[in-house]
Amino acid sequence: MLAVTACLVPGAAWGVLLLGPAALRVLGVAVGASLAAELVVQALAWRRFTLGDGSALLTGLLVGLSLPVYVPLFVPAVAAAFAAAVVKASFGGLGCNWMNPALGGRLFAAFSWPVLLAVRPQPAAGWLRLTAGLSDGSLLGGTGTAGLVSTLLLAVGGAYLLARRIAAWEIPAGFAAVFALAFWAFGGLPAGLFRGDLPSALGSGSFALAALFMATDPVTSPQGRGARLAFGAGCGALSFLLRAFGGRMEAPFAAAALMNMFVPLLDRWPAKRGPR
Amino acid sequence: MKSGEFRRILWRDNPLLVYLVGLCPALAVSDRLSNALLLAAVMLFALLGTGIAAVALERWAPPRLRLPVRLVLASALVTAAQRFLWAFAPTHAAGLGIYLPLLAVNCLLLASSASGSLGQSVAEAAGRGAAFAAGLGLLALVREVLGAGTITLFPIGSFRGVLHLRGLPPARVLAAAPGALLVLGYLSALSRWWTGRRP
Amino acid sequence: MSQPRSFPRGGVRPPERKSATAGLPIRRACVPAEALLPLRQHAGRAARCLVRLGESVAEGQPIGRAVDGLSADVHASIPGLVRQLREIRLPDGTSSPAVLVSLEGEFSRTGRVRRPEDWKALSRGELLQRLEAGGVVDQDGKPAAAKLRAEGGLVVVNAVESEPYLTGDQRLLVERAAEVLSGAAIAAFILGTGAVQVGVEADKKEALRSVAEAAAGSGFQLVPLAPRYPQGEESLLILALSGQRTGGRLEDSGSVTLGVGTLLAIHEAVTQAMPQIERVVTVAGEAVRNPANLKARLGTPVSALLEECGLGRPARVIAGGAMRGFALDSLDTPLTKDMNGILALSRREILPAVRTPCINCGRCAEVCPWGLRPADLFKWLERGEAAEARSRGLEACTECGCCAFVCPARIPLVQGLREGKRKGAA
Repeated sequence: MLAVTACLVPGAAWGVLLLGPAALRVLGVAVGASLAAELVVQALAWRRFTLGDGSALLTGLLVGLSLPVYVPLFVPAVAAAFAAAVVKASFGGLGCNWMNPALGGRLFAAFSWPVLLAVRPQPAAGWLRLTAGLSDGSLLGGTGTAGLVSTLLLAVGGAYLLARRIAAWEIPAGFAAVFALAFWAFGGLPAGLFRGDLPSALGSGSFALAALFMATDPVTSPQGRGARLAFGAGCGALSFLLRAFGGRMEAPFAAAALMNMFVPLLDRWPAKRGPR
Repeated sequence: MKSGEFRRILWRDNPLLVYLVGLCPALAVSDRLSNALLLAAVMLFALLGTGIAAVALERWAPPRLRLPVRLVLASALVTAAQRFLWAFAPTHAAGLGIYLPLLAVNCLLLASSASGSLGQSVAEAAGRGAAFAAGLGLLALVREVLGAGTITLFPIGSFRGVLHLRGLPPARVLAAAPGALLVLGYLSALSRWWTGRRP
Repeated sequence: MSQPRSFPRGGVRPPERKSATAGLPIRRACVPAEALLPLRQHAGRAARCLVRLGESVAEGQPIGRAVDGLSADVHASIPGLVRQLREIRLPDGTSSPAVLVSLEGEFSRTGRVRRPEDWKALSRGELLQRLEAGGVVDQDGKPAAAKLRAEGGLVVVNAVESEPYLTGDQRLLVERAAEVLSGAAIAAFILGTGAVQVGVEADKKEALRSVAEAAAGSGFQLVPLAPRYPQGEESLLILALSGQRTGGRLEDSGSVTLGVGTLLAIHEAVTQAMPQIERVVTVAGEAVRNPANLKARLGTPVSALLEECGLGRPARVIAGGAMRGFALDSLDTPLTKDMNGILALSRREILPAVRTPCINCGRCAEVCPWGLRPADLFKWLERGEAAEARSRGLEACTECGCCAFVCPARIPLVQGLREGKRKGAA
C-alpha cells in the first residue's frame, strides 16, 4: 500500500509544481477527508482502527489526483469521504469492496457536480513556467507537454509497481493496447481510419492514473493472466468509447469502474490447471 | 391498534425501510417531497379501501374469488385516485407519472392480509400507510435536500411551494436514480441500527 | 546429464538454509532413558497393543500389531520395562495410544553385527513378510509392504529433499548410497520388474555423484530434477520423471514411490531382519547451538535430542520440515517414523504472523502446483460453505504450504484448508 503511494509521488509532485498551491490544497483536503471518514466509520462500526495500513491515504491521494485543480474544495472532500466511507468501509473495509474506492469517489463527483468539473484550461499557478492546457478531468495532464510529462512520471512509478509485481502487468498492458489501438484506428473517424490523435489520447493523466494505479487494485481486479488481459482490454475499449463518442473526460475512470462490476464473472476464466 | 404496535410498524417493521417492499414507485417518486407525500396519500387511500373490502370478502366471498376481486378493487381505487388527481392537480399528477397507476400492482397493497374485525383491518391499513408515508417522506426529504437543494411542498396561497436552501451546490447524484438506492440503503441501515435489530 | 526436469506450474523456492548441516556426517544420538512409542506412526488405525504394564521388552520386540491394510507393526526401540500405557497428542493434533518403555537390560540387536543375508534367494511373499515384520513405513505414512503388494510397475526413489533445513536424506545418499540402492533393488524385485528411477535434485552434487557411483552398472535410471518445492510430492515427482499425469490416483500410475530412509529400512529389514526402530533426523535452526544429522531411536523425546545439540531460546520448535512440519507446544513429543526434522527457530527465521485482510493479490493461486485458488477456498470455508469449496477442488490440496509461504497478508491458508478437509471427511 505504502509502496503504491510512494509511486504516485513523482506524478503528484509534477502536478503540484505545475499548478501551484491550489493543487496542494486539493490533495490535502482529499487525503484528510478520506482519513477522517475512515476513522469515523471505524469508530462507529467496528471499534477497530486500521488507518495505519495506508489504504485510506492512498484512496485520498488518488481521488485528489483524479480531480481538476479548479474545483471548489468541498468537492474533493465529499468525493474522498464517499470513497472511504461508502465504497470501501460500508462494504466491509479492506478487501471487501467491489469497486475501487477512488473510482467511486471520482464518479460520485462527476455525476454530482458536472458543471464544476467541466473541462476548462487549468490555471498554472505553480513554480514552472509552463501552461497546463485543458484539463482532461484530472489534476495531472491535460493537453500538450504538461500532459505527456505527467503520463511519463506516472509511468515511471507504475513501472516500479509492475517490476515488483505489486501490480499485475496484464491489466495496464491490455488497457493501453486496446485504448491506443482503438484511438489510433477510430479516433479520427469522420476523416478516415487510422488517423486518430494518439499522443493526446495517451498523454492523458487520467488514463495513466486509471490504467496503472486504479484498475490494478488487486481487490477489484480478476486473478489469472487471461482474465486480467480481458479486464484491461475491456477498460481500454470502454475508455475509448466513452471519450471519443461520449465526450466524457473521466472516461478511463468510468471504464474501470464498469469493468470492476464484471470481475466476479472474469474470475471464472479458466486458468492453467495443475496436473490433476 | 395499540400504540406499541403502531410504533413497531413505523420503525421496526417498516415495510419500506426494513422489508424493502414496494420499492419501485418509492425510488422513482422520492425525488421531490411533494411527490412522495402525494403518492403516500394515494397509497393510504388504496390500503384503506382494500382493507375494508378484504374483511367483507373474507366473510361473504368464496376463497377462490378473494384475490381476483381484491386485484380488481385495487386497480379501481387507484384509477379513481388517478382521475381525481388529474382533474384537480394535473401538474402534480404529471409529476407522479406512470408510478401512480403502478400502485395497483404494488406489493404493499396486495400483501394486505385480512385480519379479523373491521376495526383491526382499518387500523392495520392505516398503520401501513403511515409507515410507508414516513419512510417515503424521509427518503424524499434527504434526497431533495442533499440532491437538489430544495424542499418542494404544495403551493398554498402566495407560497409557490418550493423552498430553496442555501449552501453548497447540491450533489445531483442523490436526486437521480443511483442516489435513491444509496439513500434508501443507508436509511434502511439506520432504522435497523436504531431499533437494535439484527440484520 | 540432461536439463533438470520439473513439474509444470506453481511451486516456490524457499531459502535452503542447509549449509549448517549439509556437510555433517550422520552420527548416533544418545540412547534415551525413556522411549515413548506411539502405536500409530502410519496412515491407518493405531496398532493393537501387544504388551502389558510391567512387562519387560527386548530391543526390536514387536509391541503393536497392524490392524488394517494401512497400519504397521510397532517395535520397542530400546530394551526395558513397560512403564505406562497412555494417549498422547501427536504433533499434527491427532492423538494416539502410546507405550512408555524405560531403559533396562541389555541390547540384543545393537552392536551385534549380523551377516547380511542374500535376499535374492527369497520369494516375493517372504520378502513382503519381512517388510511387514519390520514395520517399515514410508514417509507418506503407508506401510512399504502395502505399497509393494501389487505386482508390476516401477520403483521411484524419492531422493528429493526440497524443504529448508532438512539434510538427512542427502547425507544418507552420500554415506550409504549402496544400501539405499540395495533397498530399491529389493523393492523392484518384489514388484517383479526390476525397474528403478532415482530422482535427485540437480544442485545436490555430492549426493548425485555418490548415487551415480553406486548405481553404475545396475541399470537404474538417475534423473536430476530442478530444485523446486514441492518436487518431493509423489504425483509431481512421477510427473517430472515420466511425464505421466496420475490424476490423483497414484495406485494406477504404475509407479511406487519410496523415500530414501524407507529404502534403507527395507534393506535392513530384509538382510538383517532389523525392524524400523531408529531414523535419521536433522536437528537444526538458529536456536540450536550444534546442529546435526542424528540417527536416533524412535520414541526419544524431542527435548532430549535438542538438549544433545544444545538448545538456545527458540521462538518456535517445529517437528518435521519448515514447510510441512507442525509447531510443537510440548517438547515431550517423541520421535516418530515420519519425523524428518526437528527445527528450533529463532524469531528472525520465521515470517511474521499478524493476519491482515486478503486483498486478492492472487499470489497463492500463482504458486499452487495444482492450479487451485487457496484464498477463495479459504473464504468459502470460513463462511461455512464446505460444499462450495469442495466443488472448487479442495480435495486436490496436498497441504504443501506454497500458498501460505507467499501470502503477503499472512493468512493461515494451510490450516484453514486442512480443517475444511478434515470436516469434510468426518
